Order: sequence, then C-alpha cells, then structure tokens
Amino acid sequence: MSANSRPFFVLAREALGDALRRRLVLVIAVASLLSLLVVDSCTSCGSATIVRNGQSVAMPEIAGFSALAVAIACGLWTLILAGALASDHLAEPLADGSAGLVLARPVGRGSFALARLAGALVIALGSGGVLLIGAGCLLHARQGLPWPPLIAAFGASAAGAVTVGALAMAASLQLPRIATLLLLLMGVAGVAAANFAGLFGAQLGGLAGLVDGYGPPLVSSIAFALREWIAPTAVPGNALALGLRHGVWMLASAMLLVHAFRRAELD
Amino acid sequence: MVLELAAVSKRYGRRSALADVSLAIPPGAALGLLGPNGAGKTTTLRLLLGFTRPSQGVVSLRGLRPTDPAARRGVAYLPERLCLPARMTVHGFLKLHGTLAGLAGAGLAREIDAGLALTGLADRADDRLGGLSKGLAQRVGFAQALLGEPGLLLLDEPTSGLDPLGVRDARDWILAARARGASVLVSSHVLSEVERTCDHVAILNQGRVAAQGLLAEVLRPGESLEDAFVRCVRS
Repeated sequence: MSANSRPFFVLAREALGDALRRRLVLVIAVASLLSLLVVDSCTSCGSATIVRNGQSVAMPEIAGFSALAVAIACGLWTLILAGALASDHLAEPLADGSAGLVLARPVGRGSFALARLAGALVIALGSGGVLLIGAGCLLHARQGLPWPPLIAAFGASAAGAVTVGALAMAASLQLPRIATLLLLLMGVAGVAAANFAGLFGAQLGGLAGLVDGYGPPLVSSIAFALREWIAPTAVPGNALALGLRHGVWMLASAMLLVHAFRRAELD
Repeated sequence: MVLELAAVSKRYGRRSALADVSLAIPPGAALGLLGPNGAGKTTTLRLLLGFTRPSQGVVSLRGLRPTDPAARRGVAYLPERLCLPARMTVHGFLKLHGTLAGLAGAGLAREIDAGLALTGLADRADDRLGGLSKGLAQRVGFAQALLGEPGLLLLDEPTSGLDPLGVRDARDWILAARARGASVLVSSHVLSEVERTCDHVAILNQGRVAAQGLLAEVLRPGESLEDAFVRCVRS
C-alpha cells in the first residue's frame, strides 16, 4: 500500500465499520434471507405444466425466463440498497461534525467521499452477491441452468450499484435524505422501466429512448449477461457497448460526487 | 508566514461573517484569536482548514491553498464542538488519526503511547469514546491533535469542558508545543489562558479585526487583556 493510497484504505475500512454498525444492516440481512427463502420457494416447482396460448408448456421450458426475472430482481435489490446506504453515508458524518476532524488531516475530499462510497458499496454488493449467488445455486441445482453467466450478471449489477450509489451520495449533499431516497427510487424505477421496454422490443422515443439508449444499463446489462438462460430468445445489445456505457456512467458519477463534495461548504 | 489571511471576506447569503480581515502568524508564534460570540472566529478557522472558501481575499496555510491536502500536513486541529465516534476506542481513534497524519509502524505506536501518557489517558486506552466524560473527551481531542508533533496547532476553545487541572494541563501542552517550535492559533473566550499561552492577539468584532499585534502592542499601559477586549468590542 503506497503512502498516497493509505488514507483511502484506512478511511474505507472505517466507512465499512460504520456501515456494518447501522441498524439498517440488520434489516438488510433479514430481508436478504427472506428473499432467498422466496427464491427457494419459487424455484422448487420443477414439474408443473403451464398452459400458454392454449398450448401446454413444460416448466423447464420457461425456467430460464423465471430465473432471469429472479436475477434481475436481485440486481435491482443491490442497486436500491447501494443507493439507500450511500444516501446518508457521507451526509451523516458531515451533519454530526465527525468528518471535520478527518478532513483537517492531509486527506483529500475526493478520497474521503470515495472511501465512504466504498464502505456503503461493500455492504450492498455483499448482500446482493449472496442473494444472486444463492439464487444461482438453487437455479443451477434444480433447473440445470448454467452458473457462469451469473458472474457477468453480478459484475453488471456491481457496476450499476457504483453509479447509483455515487449519484445518491452526490444528491445527498444537496437534498434531505427523504428527497434523496425518493429521487433514487424514481430514478432506478425509471431506468429499469425503460430497459424492460427495450428488452421487450418496444420502439422507445423521447426521454425513455434516451434513457434506454444512453442511460446506465441497469437492467439491460444483467439481462444480456444471462441471455444464455433464455436462448434461443435473443436479448438486444452487445457486451462491449454495455460495458462501455457502464464504465462511462461509473466514472461520470464518481467524478460528479467528488466535484460536488469539493464544492461543498463544511460546518 | 505559517498561515495568512489577506483582505478576506466571507459572506453567507446576505450575512457578512468576515469583512476585509488580514491576519498572519509568523513561524513559532502563538496567536490568540478573541472576539464575542458571532465575531467570526470559527469562520476564520474553517477558512484556514479549507472547509469553506473566502468570498473575497486570499487564505494560505503553510504557503498553500487550504483546500490542498498537502497544506494540512503537520497541522493539528481541535474543534470547539468535538464529535468523537462513540463506537471507537481511545486507542483506535488515535491510531486512525496517527495514520491519517502520516505515521506508521513503530513510530505510530510510540506516538500513541506518548499521547496517551501525556494526556493522562494511558489507563483509558481501551475505553469506548462514547462512554467518556466531556473532559476526558477533550483530552482525547488534545491527544489526537498532538500526534506526530505538528508544526501548527489550530485550537478552537481548547479548554472547553476541562476541569481546573485539565485547563492547566492544556496550557502546559500548548506551551510545550511552542517550546519545540510549533506555531499556535488559539480561538478562545478564556482571556487569561490566551494571555498565558500567546504572544500575539487579534480581536475580532462583527467580522472585522478591531485590534491585532503583539500582546504588548495591543494592551495600553496598565490595561489587562480583558480591558483591551472590552475597549475594542465596545468601541
């Protein structure tokens, strides 16, 4: 660890410790466990026959679609969690004054903000990862779906979480927490809706088209990563373009956070 | 100069917190920053630490802009409203701040032990900060400020919450720092302590410098610091 990067890692460890001690983490753990039980219940049905358009469809034939829905739900949970935790993980030490002592040290504001973001993200990604991997194991064992695509799906989910977390944290510097949370929910829901519509082949125009085409590919990248599960049904997109969009959004949102924090007046 | 404010003004909306303030501390000097409540003392410290930007004028800390992290190397800060993370132990807190101050390994351990011993906290090293009294918390604040023998101490109401023994200890710590060549800025309402620890004073009133200079220059013959303070503020 170089002398320049040491403060970041020290602060990130502190931020993680702070995040772990929050009561919200207990709620997250319980919610994750309940979600896994729901996934367990949803994936235990392997021999049912479903009638679609008057034709019987065997369960294994639609297993990929239901598994995809489960994985996307896990991804969205990770995103919301990242945003919710980030929405006060920087604002709180600023409000209670404990950040002042740290920022009086030779610590850059960028390092401090990104360390706080990292602390929140570890919890969100840990919870999301356990959920996604748990669901993946169940789906693999019960429905024979390949598990390697889950790694890419988790990567997509993590990239989205960085973007959502950084934007929520930047917003929290200007807005009260409840407004930040509302903005977060509306933003994620809006992007997810546009992505879903794009996945189903809708011709999107206006703002929805822009969001689906150029916004963070929160849902479309997860769906693309798991396309093997629903083959031969095609999923629009390509890996390079989605990866690039994630990269640009992660970088831009982190830069926005650092810029907003550098401009902020501290008490 | 170790720190300097040149024609600095700071406005919060329509309210002026500082107006055309110029201050400087030469190396090794100790400046007592005095003024009634709302005079702009804490704003001055916030400007020096880069927590806020001046509306006008130039602030420099060790020759650099205060927003540059390098400017705060070797700078110690003790805020008036000391907010310590309740869950941390005294030792853990000092370790964190020692690390952020650039200490590591055996040097860090030695500094922590020395700081604990100096501030009388050696037997409280494993206590949680949340369980400490205000006086003990203030001692922890001093211990973190003195880690690594800083070259500049910025102290905002440093004797706040301390008992008479603690006040005397705090005075000794400040004088010891001065004796090894550190510069000090003390913002305080306790004029007697400023008189004992500082050689320069600046009196702020309604955001302006009402008087500043060597203690002997600011005081008129036969006048105490309290008399000078009242004269400057009332005039």
